[in-house]
Order: sequence, then C-alpha cells, then structure tokens
Amino acid sequence: MNPEPTSFPAGLPEVLRAPALTVGKVTPGSVDDQVLRFPGQAPPFKWYVAVACTSAVAALGMALIGYTFYRGIGAWGNTSPVFWAFDIINFVFWVGIGHAGTLISAILFLLRKRWRNAIARFAEAMTIFAVMCAGIFPLIHVGRPWVAFWLLPYPNQRGLWTNFRSPLLWDVFAVSTYFSVSLMFWYLGLIPDLASLRDRTESRIRKPIYAILSLGWRGAANHWRHYEKAYILLAGLATGLVLSVHSVVSFDFATSIVPGWHMTIFPPYFVVGAVFAGFAMVLVVLIVVREAMDLHNLITDFHLEVMCKVILGMSCLMGYAYVIEGFTAWYSMNSFLHHVFMNYITGTYGWAGWLTITCNVLLPQLLWFRKCRRSYPWMLLVAAAVTVGMWFERFVIIVISLHQDYLPSAWRIYKPTLTDYGILLGSFGIFFTLVLLFARVLPVIATSEMKADLPGAQPRHGADHE
Amino acid sequence: MNETFAVLGLFDSADALMEAVPKVKARHLGRLEAYTPYPVHGLDRALEQRRSPLAGMVMVMGVLGALTALLFQYWISAVDYPIITGGKAPSSWQAFVPIMFEVMVLFATFTAGLGMLLLLNRLPTFGHPVLQAKAIRGITRDRFALAVEAEEGAGDGFAPVARAALEAAGARDIELLPAPARGPWLTAGFIQKSLAGIAVACLVSGLVMYGAVKLIPVLPPMSHMEDQPRLDPQAQSTFFKDGRGMRMPVAGTVARGFMPPGFASEDEAARLVNPLPRTPAVLAKGRAEYQIRCAVCHGALGNGIPTLSAAYGAKPANLQAPNFQAYSDGRIYGAIVLGKNAMPSYAADLPEDARWAVVHYVRALQRAQNAKDEDLK
Amino acid sequence: MSADRTVKLLWSATALGGAAAVASYFVMGGPRFWANWVVWFLFLLTLALGALFLVALEHLVSARWSVPLRRIPERLASLLIPLCAVALVGLGSLKTLFPGARPEAALDPLLAGKAVWLGVPCFSARVALCAALGLVPLVVLLRGSLRQDRDHDPRFTIRARRFAPVCMAIFALLVTQAAFDWIGGLTPAWYSDVIGVYLFAGAFMAGLAATVLAVIYLRGKERLQAVRFDHFFNLGAFLFAFTVFWAYIAFAQYMLMWYGNLPDEVLWYQAHTGGAWLGVVVLLALLHFFVPFFALVPRDAKGDLKRLRWVAVVVLAAHWLDLYWLVFPALGAPVFSWPELGFALFFVGATLLWTRGAMAHGEDMPVGDPFLREGLEFRL
Repeated sequence: MNPEPTSFPAGLPEVLRAPALTVGKVTPGSVDDQVLRFPGQAPPFKWYVAVACTSAVAALGMALIGYTFYRGIGAWGNTSPVFWAFDIINFVFWVGIGHAGTLISAILFLLRKRWRNAIARFAEAMTIFAVMCAGIFPLIHVGRPWVAFWLLPYPNQRGLWTNFRSPLLWDVFAVSTYFSVSLMFWYLGLIPDLASLRDRTESRIRKPIYAILSLGWRGAANHWRHYEKAYILLAGLATGLVLSVHSVVSFDFATSIVPGWHMTIFPPYFVVGAVFAGFAMVLVVLIVVREAMDLHNLITDFHLEVMCKVILGMSCLMGYAYVIEGFTAWYSMNSFLHHVFMNYITGTYGWAGWLTITCNVLLPQLLWFRKCRRSYPWMLLVAAAVTVGMWFERFVIIVISLHQDYLPSAWRIYKPTLTDYGILLGSFGIFFTLVLLFARVLPVIATSEMKADLPGAQPRHGADHE
Repeated sequence: MNETFAVLGLFDSADALMEAVPKVKARHLGRLEAYTPYPVHGLDRALEQRRSPLAGMVMVMGVLGALTALLFQYWISAVDYPIITGGKAPSSWQAFVPIMFEVMVLFATFTAGLGMLLLLNRLPTFGHPVLQAKAIRGITRDRFALAVEAEEGAGDGFAPVARAALEAAGARDIELLPAPARGPWLTAGFIQKSLAGIAVACLVSGLVMYGAVKLIPVLPPMSHMEDQPRLDPQAQSTFFKDGRGMRMPVAGTVARGFMPPGFASEDEAARLVNPLPRTPAVLAKGRAEYQIRCAVCHGALGNGIPTLSAAYGAKPANLQAPNFQAYSDGRIYGAIVLGKNAMPSYAADLPEDARWAVVHYVRALQRAQNAKDEDLK
Repeated sequence: MSADRTVKLLWSATALGGAAAVASYFVMGGPRFWANWVVWFLFLLTLALGALFLVALEHLVSARWSVPLRRIPERLASLLIPLCAVALVGLGSLKTLFPGARPEAALDPLLAGKAVWLGVPCFSARVALCAALGLVPLVVLLRGSLRQDRDHDPRFTIRARRFAPVCMAIFALLVTQAAFDWIGGLTPAWYSDVIGVYLFAGAFMAGLAATVLAVIYLRGKERLQAVRFDHFFNLGAFLFAFTVFWAYIAFAQYMLMWYGNLPDEVLWYQAHTGGAWLGVVVLLALLHFFVPFFALVPRDAKGDLKRLRWVAVVVLAAHWLDLYWLVFPALGAPVFSWPELGFALFFVGATLLWTRGAMAHGEDMPVGDPFLREGLEFRL
C-alpha cells in the first residue's frame, strides 16, 4: 500500500487534502492495546443486556422454526400462487447483506484502499454470520427438512441424481462455496491476531485455545511471503464470488418466465443491491462498534464519509436499474410485463413499490449533503431506510410478480402469518447475537493489517518492486 | 546443556531491521530468518527468499476444479441417468457453467488456504523455539526480530559471535534460543497426512459405493407413499369374515344406466307417454338406432321381412300389422324393455331416450307404409 | 519514420479507405455500407466513452495513481467531437437497417405501440440530445484540465470532483441510448435490459486498451518516461478485471435467454448464432475473454509492456468483432471483404490523425494537477 503522502503542495485547498485515516498518535503497540484488550476483559453490563435481547429474539425465531417443522409450511402464508414469500425474501436479503463484507475485505484490498483495514475484520465476520442466517431459509422452506440432504449429489440405490439444470441447485453450490471461502479468508486473516492474543494473555484457559487456533504462528518472514500470496489470491477469488454468488441467486428468478422476473439485468442489479444493503448494515455496526468500543481514533470520520459515499453511489445505480427495468417493461410491448410493472406501483401492494423507491433511491440522496455524512442520526436514518427498502424490494419482486402473473383465475392476495414475521425477526436476532459474541471474543479490527499501513510502518529504503 | 538453536536480535522499527539484514548476512554465520508483527515490504528479497509458488498451484487446482465439475455434471446429467427437464437437453453445457465456476473457486480457495498453511508454511507447528522465547510477545506486538540460526555442528563459539554481529548491526536486545526437545505430534505433517488420507478414503468409498449401487437392483424412487393403509383391488382383508377385500354391492344397488323400468308387464308400460318431442333430430336418432338394433329382424320398413335367412327359425313381428298400429307408444316401449316372445330385452342396448326415439321412428314407419291422402298435404 | 511521412501515410490510408467505403455503397449496396458505418461509429463511440469514463472515475474517487496518465484518455475522449458528425451521418442508416424506423412499423402488431419511439424523428432527437450532452463533460473536464496546465489552479480539481457524478450520469445515459437504439433497434421486437451494461463493459475495455496502447506508444517516443511498472500494472489489472466482467455479462444474458426459451427473446440469439455466426461467437469468446484472461493472469504480466501491447491490440480487435457480431446479422450471413477493410482503413486512419492532432494540445501529463507528484511516486 502507498505510504501516507509526506507533504502537500503549498496552498492546496483543505477540501483536496486526503483526510487522516487515524487520529492522534497511533503505534503498533497502541493498536494492540486498544483492540486486543476486549477479548481479555469482562464486557460492560450493556453488552449483556444487548445479548440478552438479541438472544431472546433469536430464540423466538428458532421456536417458530420448530413450530414450522411440526405444522408444515402451512404455518406460513405461502399458498397458491405466491409459493415463495418471506422464506426466499429473507434468504436473498441475508445473502445480500453478506456481500458488503466480501467487497470490503477482498475488492478494496485489491484496489489498495487503506481505509479498509479498520473495518475489514468485522465486515467479513458479518458476511459469515449473514450467510449463516441466509442458509437457514432454504433448509426450512422445503416441505421435508429432514431429507434436505437430497440436495447433494450422492450415489444412491434409487439411481437418482440432483438436477444440475436447476438454478436452485446452483444456489446450493454457490452459497456453500461462498460460506467456505469467506470462512477461510476470515480465518487466515485472524491467525496473526490470534497469535498476538496468545502472547498477550496469561489466562490458563485462553492461552492454549489461542495457541491452537493460531497454529503456532510466529511471524516468520518466510511464512509472511506465502501468507501474503495466499491472501491476495483469496482476495481475487472472493471478488469473483461477490459477482457470482448473488448472480446465481438472481438466476433463481431470472431463469423463470414469471413476468417481472425474466429480466436480463437481474444479475448485475442484484449484485449492486446486495452491496448496497450490506454497506448499510456495515455502517450501522460500524457506528455501534466505534462508539461502544471507543475506537474514534482508528475508525475516523473519513471511514464514515467514504461508506456514505459508496451507499450513495450504489443508490444511484439502483435508480438506474429501476429506470431501465421500467423502460424495458414498456418497450417490450408485452402486456403481462406491463401489468406486473403497473402492479408494482398501483396494485394491492403498490405501497411496497413506493416504499422501495423512496427508501432505496430518494432517501439516500440525503447523503449528497456533507452535514448528513457527518451526523449519526442522518446516517442511521438512511441506513435503516436502505435496509427496509432492500427487504421490500425483494418483497416487491417476489410477491407482486407471483400474486398476479399470467392467469387471472389464479390471482390471489398474499397474507403473511405471525410465524413469518417471527422468523424474520428471529433471523435478525441470530445475526446480531453472533455479531455481539464476535465482538466479545475476537479482535474487531485486523491489528496486523492496520499496523502494516501505519505511517512509518514500512521501511523507507525498502526494495522497489522494479 | 542445550545446544543453541538460534540467536535472536530485537529491533524497534522496520527500518532498523532492514538496515541490519545486509550487515548480518555479510558475516555468513548461518541461515537468517526474520520475525515481524506484520509483513515488511522487501524483507523477503533482502533475505533472498524465493517467490512463493502458491499462484501456480492455485491456478492448476482451479482449472482442475472447473474440469472436475464439468465432467461430474456431464456424467450425472447426460450419461448416468439422463432426464430431459424443462425442455433442456441433458447435456446442456450452459447450465453447467455456474457450478463449474463455483467449484473452481472452491478448489482454488482450499489450495490457497490449506496449501499455504500445511504445505508451504508447515503450520501448525507448536514446538518452535521462538514460541517459547520471551521475545515472542514483542514480536507479535511491535518489535522486529532477526534470528541467526546455527548450522549443523556450529559448536560453542557460535552464540557469542552471532551476538556480537547482531549488536553491531543495531539490535536492542539479544536472546539465545535453545534447541527444542521432541516435537509434538500435532504438526503440519500429521495434519497433511490425515487430510490426504481422508480425501483418498472419501474418493475410494465414493467410487466403490457408486459401483455397488449400480450392481444392486434399483429401488423405486419414492416408496414412502406406495405402502398405504388402504384396500387395494383383489387384495386380502382381515376385516371381513370371508377374507376377501372386494365386496359385492349392497342389495338394492342400481348400476348406472340400468335404472329399473318401473313396470313389470306390457300392460303397465302401455300407460307411459313418449317424453321426447317429434323433431327431425329425434327421428334421425330413432332411425339410426332402429337400423342398428331392430332392422335386423323387423326389416328396414318394419314389415317383418328381415335380412336374416329363413334358417333363423323365429318369425319377427310385422310392425305394419294393424294390431301393432294400435299399440300405444308405451306398449312399444314396454316391448323394447321387457322383450316379447323370442325378442330379448333391449334395455341394456338402448338407453332410455334412444328407446323413445325408436318408438317415434316406428310410428313414423307405420304411418309411411300406410299413408293416407291427407298426409301428402 | 519522420513525423511528416507518418502524417502523409495516414492521410493517404484514410483517403484510400474513404474511397473504398464510398465505393462499397454503390457496389455492395446500402445495407452493407450502413452496417459498416454503424459498427465503426459504435466502436469509436465506445472507445471515446470508455476513455471518458476513466477520466471521470479518477475524479470521482479522487484517485492519484492515474493522474500522470490522465491526459491520454482525455485526448481519446475528445473523439466525441467528430463522432457527433459521424452520428448525424449514421442517421441515414435508419430506413435501411432499422425496421422500427420504417413506416410499416406502425402496422406491425409487435411494433405498433412503440412505432413513434422507434421512428426517425424520435430516434434522431435522441441521438442529437445525446450528442449535445456528450459534449458537456468535454467542456468541463477536458478544457478545464488543459487550462490547469497553464494556471496550476487547484480549483479545477475541486470542480472536476464535484462534476464527476454528473459526468457519470451522462455517461450512463449515452451508453444506454447507444445500446438500446443502435444495437437493440436492429431487432426492435427483441428486448434485453442488460445491453446497456454489456456495452459499458466493452466500452471500458476498449478505452483501457486504447489508453494502454497510447501510453506505450508515447513512452516509446521518449515521452511519459516517468510512467512505471506500477502504473501499467494498475491499467493491466483493470483490463483483466473487466475481461471477466464482460464475459460474465455476455454469458448471463445468453444463458437467461437460452433458459427461458421465450420466442421474443430467442429470435435474436437464433439470428446471432445460426450458421456461420457460431464460428464468430467462438472466435469472439476466445479473443475477448480467454486470450486476454490467461495472458494477464500472472502478476508480472499485468505490468509487462510487451505483453500489454499485444493484449491491448487483441482487446480492441475483439471489441470490433463484438460490435460486428451485434450489428451484421441484420444483413444475414457473416460477410467480410474489401468494404470492411476499407472502412477499417478510413476510420482507424481518421482516429489516428485526430489523436495526433489532440496530442499537440497541452502537455503529455496534467502538469497543473496538484497530485501529479504523488501520482508519479505511486508504488504498488
């Protein structure tokens, strides 16, 4: 990565100066002290309160999942013709949230954006937890979850194989690959930090655990060169996954011929939407971590500003996608497509369509204003709006397209049940419980990556890469 | 007395370390290794460490992954159990591409991660002398170490010479690392061998199972719903005393299309009135049915001259005869349903409305053969 | 070869090509002429827009590594000026190649609802609007950049950064309009909402490849000596990444239409992969994806000048082939002979002449940019 510019040309206007990524005097030792003290010490009381609340919600969700196993899918609102509803909306929503973490840790690493160091670790952890939450839904939405292993191709006496021509099976492979790769990437990044924890702690219980998990890492230069190579290769591979996983999820819809689903722009549109929703969630967690753990000198105004700018950019791309979809719906001269698109904004669920547009395209435009990019209430408002808007976008795509498609005699109204709502809420509970546990147990900032980019960290007379 | 494994010199900054490396290297005391809290640019070049071969390994395994996925999907979809779904040919390569890509990334990732850890770095290794040193705490925090490792048979003079060299190069602290005792069992080599063994075992057992299920007769795919607590046709039943599952219908059951006529004799039938109107359609139907069923015996004109040969024996009635002309519609209907003398009952052959249509037609035949002048008007 | 002789050679080649092009109108017929015109218009438009995107992107994300190189894509983007004339001439192709622009479209049940949109007046209005809008970034970004060479005023950089989002919006509009109208309009019954993104992918690759070639050329002429491996690496890495992105969009559009198998969508692919066109598709996949991908996969290769030069040439040829594949099926089976070569001579010659002229304006590096020194000091 590039060293901090040593001096600006004289008279450079303030607004053009690259803002500081750290505030105050930050040394490798101080980074360790600030970040690595949390896994060792008892958490404050409010952490316990938070975990209690989120676990309670998670437990409610899991109880309702158990109830669904017992009753069957009839416990949900899914019925003809809306056979996919909250289950798939939640799945796509959570997989989307995960993409921001991968973009931050992988793509920004490849682009050498140093501001990623302070947020990559917990963003990547959020990816893993989001994918875990997402993975629940395909498993529970099948009618017989106890035979869900039939999704995997294994030789059997019935001579049957899985249907490789179905995008639902591509999903199985894509999401499980995404989970494995994210886990591997995250764990590799953790190894040097776990080694630091191993060497800091005196606890008889924690030291062997950290020692085993850090695999005896000792920071040898010989090891670092292979490690760096593996890291950049994994970053490149994870970048491929960011594009492909949500594209495969979009194929679930785009390969069908349901009007409103069969749009070729779905793959890039879903990827952009995923990054958009994920960044909003990361922004929320970022603000909480920054305040709760007093990391103002490591997570600075610049980080918040640049996150807001990415959210704004993605919002504009979403606007583009909406305009193009609307135009193509007219241009296609296909009456079914016309009807579905009019339904998006004027039908029974037209309010959801307007909510989506407002939350995804209109409200984030507030971030054009510097005041909004610098104030927590505005940022949290926009982030919450984006989260709601992106959930409702999937609702609009799935429920509205399904409830009135080709055959008017099959048109019905969809009503979600309390179980639906409860499981959705429960998934948020599971996600935030995992995030809170992670913050308690593991370092939320990648200390070794941060240290490597501090001013003066790299030798001035280091060999040039010719 | 412990042999010295290495002498460790600690520095406070990356710059200091980088300046020290060429100085110590020039003394040719032994293999050099550096320990840092984060990767320092240019250090690997200064220590003359070769480029990592990981990229090539990952590329090869990635391509292998893509090919494996393609062949696997092709074999399963197009060769082993080809089914056409959604109108797509079993060998549709377009459908195989997404999974090919994902499996390629999966293979490449595991090569990068596990290859780096197990093969190249030989991690986990828990017994390395540096891990037992006091210096390790500083190394993972914010200090930089340069270790001069003793060569085979270096002797007692190695340690002081190395110490002096490191101090001359600017080291703040020096530490001697004794050679380790026995290495622990949970090392990288052990994990490598275990993983390789597991992988081979999976592959072998998978292929064996695949071959085995090919030899055993195929079970029906979904047998859960075949075995139901219901009575199948011609099955035994323990519920009924005679053990038969199939039962006769209850007394008084009427088969469809076989409603009882409601009269027992021709006289009773004579009171019935023809419910069908006398329309051309009804007459056409009556003619069609008459020609099929009745003309055989009663003749095309209803005059009892049949197409049967005289050898038949019975003499069919001449419907043009005056007594038949006097029959009411109901009486003719009764003859059809109950039969008359040698004529069997035609109730099973003619449904109710066909019978009445035939009655209309017979009436029409009678009038046609015995036309009066007024009929021509 | 001295500069004079080069210029003379270029002028003669352009004149020869122009003559061949005009001749092809009379010998081969209108459709062939117009198909070539449209392909070359789109090729240069996407190249210029791709270069403009590079400039706008740098301002948008406040990138500093690309500052030393920025003048090159700025000059390439100035191609938008003569392209306005090319577009206006290209409007002559509407009645010949575009079924929606003909009067019969109003009677065709599939096209009747959008016959007004597809008709000559609306189409021309859109082209004129986009041409006008395309000049706006040139005025703001290019002229300002050249002025900054002289007055070293950092306020231009502030203005450019503020304008960058607007420039991106204009870029999105232009690329989408080009894709939907010039490419989609050839088969008006067909529709695909991702063709704008598809054309963007190709455009960015073309802009990058052209920039790479121009920078390598200037470096060979002892200009831009300060540009190093690190800068080329970044250009090569972007080219590599967008090779994958282009392939992803191309495959996604194809696979979705193959899977849905709807008549109104499949007809386009039937025309574009039937008969000899299948060979063109295979060649396109090879040249546009496999060759550049595997050539640029090794880390060192991304910054290696020799490799970058031939990969950039391959990418530009592949981009032309892409547009040929998009447009020429309107004529039937693939055809390639002297008209295509004539057009190539004409347009390549004209482009090189224009860029030569553009290179005379301003310095080779934006010497007034406050971040030039930092850009030159950039290390990976």
